[in-house]
Amino acid sequence: MSGTTLIPRGRPPGKLSPARMGLYAFLAICALFFLTPLYVMLVTSLKAMPEIRQGYILAWPSAPSLAAWGKAWFSACTGLSCNGIRVGFVNSLRIMVPSVIVSITVGAITGYALSFWRPRGAVVLFGVLIAVAFIPYQVFIYPLVRIFSHLGLNNSVPGIVLIHTIFGLPTMTLIFRNHFAALPEELFKAARVDGAGFWRIFGAIMLPMALPIIVVAVILQVTGIWNDFIFGLVFAGRANLPMTVQLNNIVNSTQGEREYNVEMAATLLTATVPLVVYFVSGRWFVRGIAAGAVKG
Amino acid sequence: MFTRRSAGLAVAAMFVLAAPASAEERAEVIHWWTSGGESAAVKVFADQFRAAGGTWVDTAIAGGANARTAAINRTVGGDPPTAMQFNTGKQFDDLVENELLADVDAQAAAQNWKAILPASFVQAVTRNGHVYAVPVNIHGQNWLFYSNDALHRADVQPPTSWEDLFPALDKLKSAGLIPLAFSGQKNWERNLFNNVMAGRGGHDLFVAFWGKRDVAMVKGPEFRSIVETYKRLHDYVDPGSPGRNWNDATSLVIQGKAGMQFMGDWAKGEFTAAGMTPGKEYGCTVLSDHGMAYVMGGDVFAFPRLKDTSQTKAQQLLARVLLEPKTQIEFAQKKGSIPVRLDVDTSSLDTCARKASGWVADAKAQVPANELLSPPALTGAIEDIISQYWNDPTMTTDTFITKVANTLSQQF
Amino acid sequence: MRIGSRLAAHIALAPALLIALVAYCGAMSWTIWISFTNSRMLPSSVFVGLRQYSSLVANERWQVSVTNIAIFGLLFISLALMLGFLLAALIDQRVRGENLLRSVFLYPFSMSFIVTGLAWRWLLDPTFGIEKVMRDLGLAGFHFDWIVRPERAIYTLVAAAVWHAAGLVMAIMLAGLRGVDPELWKATRVDGIPTWRVYLFIIVPLLRGSFATAIILLATSVARLYDLSVAMTNGGPGIASEVPAKFVMDHLFDRGNVGLATAAATTMLITVVAVIAPLLYWQQSRPGARRTA
Repeated sequence: MSGTTLIPRGRPPGKLSPARMGLYAFLAICALFFLTPLYVMLVTSLKAMPEIRQGYILAWPSAPSLAAWGKAWFSACTGLSCNGIRVGFVNSLRIMVPSVIVSITVGAITGYALSFWRPRGAVVLFGVLIAVAFIPYQVFIYPLVRIFSHLGLNNSVPGIVLIHTIFGLPTMTLIFRNHFAALPEELFKAARVDGAGFWRIFGAIMLPMALPIIVVAVILQVTGIWNDFIFGLVFAGRANLPMTVQLNNIVNSTQGEREYNVEMAATLLTATVPLVVYFVSGRWFVRGIAAGAVKG
Repeated sequence: MFTRRSAGLAVAAMFVLAAPASAEERAEVIHWWTSGGESAAVKVFADQFRAAGGTWVDTAIAGGANARTAAINRTVGGDPPTAMQFNTGKQFDDLVENELLADVDAQAAAQNWKAILPASFVQAVTRNGHVYAVPVNIHGQNWLFYSNDALHRADVQPPTSWEDLFPALDKLKSAGLIPLAFSGQKNWERNLFNNVMAGRGGHDLFVAFWGKRDVAMVKGPEFRSIVETYKRLHDYVDPGSPGRNWNDATSLVIQGKAGMQFMGDWAKGEFTAAGMTPGKEYGCTVLSDHGMAYVMGGDVFAFPRLKDTSQTKAQQLLARVLLEPKTQIEFAQKKGSIPVRLDVDTSSLDTCARKASGWVADAKAQVPANELLSPPALTGAIEDIISQYWNDPTMTTDTFITKVANTLSQQF
Repeated sequence: MRIGSRLAAHIALAPALLIALVAYCGAMSWTIWISFTNSRMLPSSVFVGLRQYSSLVANERWQVSVTNIAIFGLLFISLALMLGFLLAALIDQRVRGENLLRSVFLYPFSMSFIVTGLAWRWLLDPTFGIEKVMRDLGLAGFHFDWIVRPERAIYTLVAAAVWHAAGLVMAIMLAGLRGVDPELWKATRVDGIPTWRVYLFIIVPLLRGSFATAIILLATSVARLYDLSVAMTNGGPGIASEVPAKFVMDHLFDRGNVGLATAAATTMLITVVAVIAPLLYWQQSRPGARRTA
């Protein structure tokens, strides 16, 4: 690639130089790799079971139909009730929204405190948070169940929000701490000289510059919490079971028959909320906000 | 405290049986039956329970391990369900030891389980003389299903013993079909091994392995020939079998691309979903060299100890309803299993189930499934070795036997 | 430093501290304690010393799991980092349809592995998948049966995991790239430095923080790899693609061997602490004010 294609600023160039074409070709090949499993899932969801059994996974359906999608949403059996995955949709929202807000807030504040202020023992705290992120979290279920039952938090939405905060804390702290640590220290020092305190610096200076990383945090948390199954199952309580429980009941089975088209449709339906969040968040992947603030 | 509680329950049970049930008997049941066919079967339980005056609150969680985990965590977390599902066998041992389960001695006595249920199943739910769970069905684990169309095209008769199995598989192979449809996941590799052990070794050898953990037997010639038979079967599965779901292997048989599949009787659900009838498009049999050796497992419901006495009545009502003849027959029809009550009329069940009802009633034709004999930890450790042996062409029979012998001698 | 701000910082850290102490340290201590008992399905208090650990070390499946996670970890992290950064750099070149492209690369992250893993398994299945499709298209000798070969199965997990995570790395890198001073681009152009040099020697070091974040996020998902291994290969063929998190999960729930599972989890913890503690200490002792993890 020549130097003229370098500056990532302004409108896309009109002419297609060979380098530019190479760029698009590479992206197209990557896109193919990324889209193939989605294609398999889509066509499977549009086929009827006899056709799926034949096993031509890449073949376009002979008679594409949205029947499996309708079944997945409205009438798939998830136990005694056969009402599809829509049953848990509202619960998933009720769990996800507060959990995302609380976990990102706590993580941002903690990351900020650890990066700029560094009170004593900060490194140890950070080390503990990171170390725990490497342990399969199912190990924590039993002790947390006991603790929560003593606190009376079991089977409640506040309980599951707290759980998501607990398990989101390591990654949230990590990304915010690293993001703030990469910002020039002059910014911070200047604000201190001006007499700004802990919260003022956070609200007026750091947070606006954290927009891209907040987007990443939202992506991480929305995905993790929306797709969470085991915590919702154990801590949320029967009245608040998220959609993933119904999804699990559709796609998981030890001895029952499998309806792959419904499974695929259900998975794709479940993925729409995170996907919408990804798409909408795109407008915040803008450049120049951070850079501009530094100079100003 | 124990005996007082049982006595109390017995007294309460007498009142429940005598008086009409009030409509307040609310039972929250955790189970893992979530597919279409399983859902229809659970509906039988729920409807019968409602007809008897109870309210069934359904908490279905797919995946046995998930359901049991949720049930156990809720029990220790102080919010137990009214009833929870386990497989017949040793899965709930720890709950009994920790005094988390209520016994159903009263129910067992009232319905005279010793007379109407298979002896091995009564034993499987009894600990220290008390009964802790209600068996609700029998699932046979060592069936052989075959596609009549595929066998016809290869000019093969359905095998009747382990002797004519291999020539049949050879003919299927030369006809260009997959002789044995197989799902290469650890539990099905173990299931196949159990199938060979029961079929060629018989009841005593099977129990000696899983129950008595008899290392001497394992090092003997009979076990060795079983292991070699097992390995021989590997020549007849297709290269794509590792990791495959059992349903996809059944699909191959349904499509006529494969001749046979060793699987439990829940496979009938897939055939039914594809619109097939046993005896017509597909057949079922059990291969056994020393008289019939039908490997029987199943499901049970256990009842956590509750502080709320109104729930206790619900538990007792549920325990009673689950074993009523009408419930048993309708459930078996929908589930494809066999009623665990031996005194019900099985003529309305499908061909395969009818074949099995004779075996289920005959104590000499049965083999208790390995869940009844061996704790999950031991089963898992052996399963890993079996899976390695099945998949690794370089692992010798001697190595396998040594590893198995070592594991059987460990503490679990 | 003003006392008020110092206090504010401590108060702000209070939730994290509370969580770390009660939830993390508390639960981990419990886990370590249980690993010295003979707990089966429920915790027991019968002390058995190091028995679980000696079983663990002798356990062939655990040995394979550890080797696998090392191979998987190295390959996965390097490939995901490279691909993610490459995609971010390319997309940052003012391409048309940036929004669409970003969604194409990021969507895998939105789906749970249970079903996407199944789609991958079908694609890689020699009987139904790419091998068959290629053969049908005429390439008679085409082989792609890695997923059923014991020595290759782990690499298929790498491929599916990279597919899943590269988009997230791309997002992190994009967030970092968008923070690069535009004057820098102008300056390098004026200086006439070739593009690849700019990226490799100027941009990458600038994005140190993003790389660090990405590496740690990827590393945690390596340690916790479970869903994918179940959905794609179920640890097979045999035990060829077993991984530690699956070992812990299987023994915790299905196999009712909580003692062994907690021993495995504790071993993982010790390994992680052994790696992180020196790193953090080294960071602390370096001269200079601020750095990233």
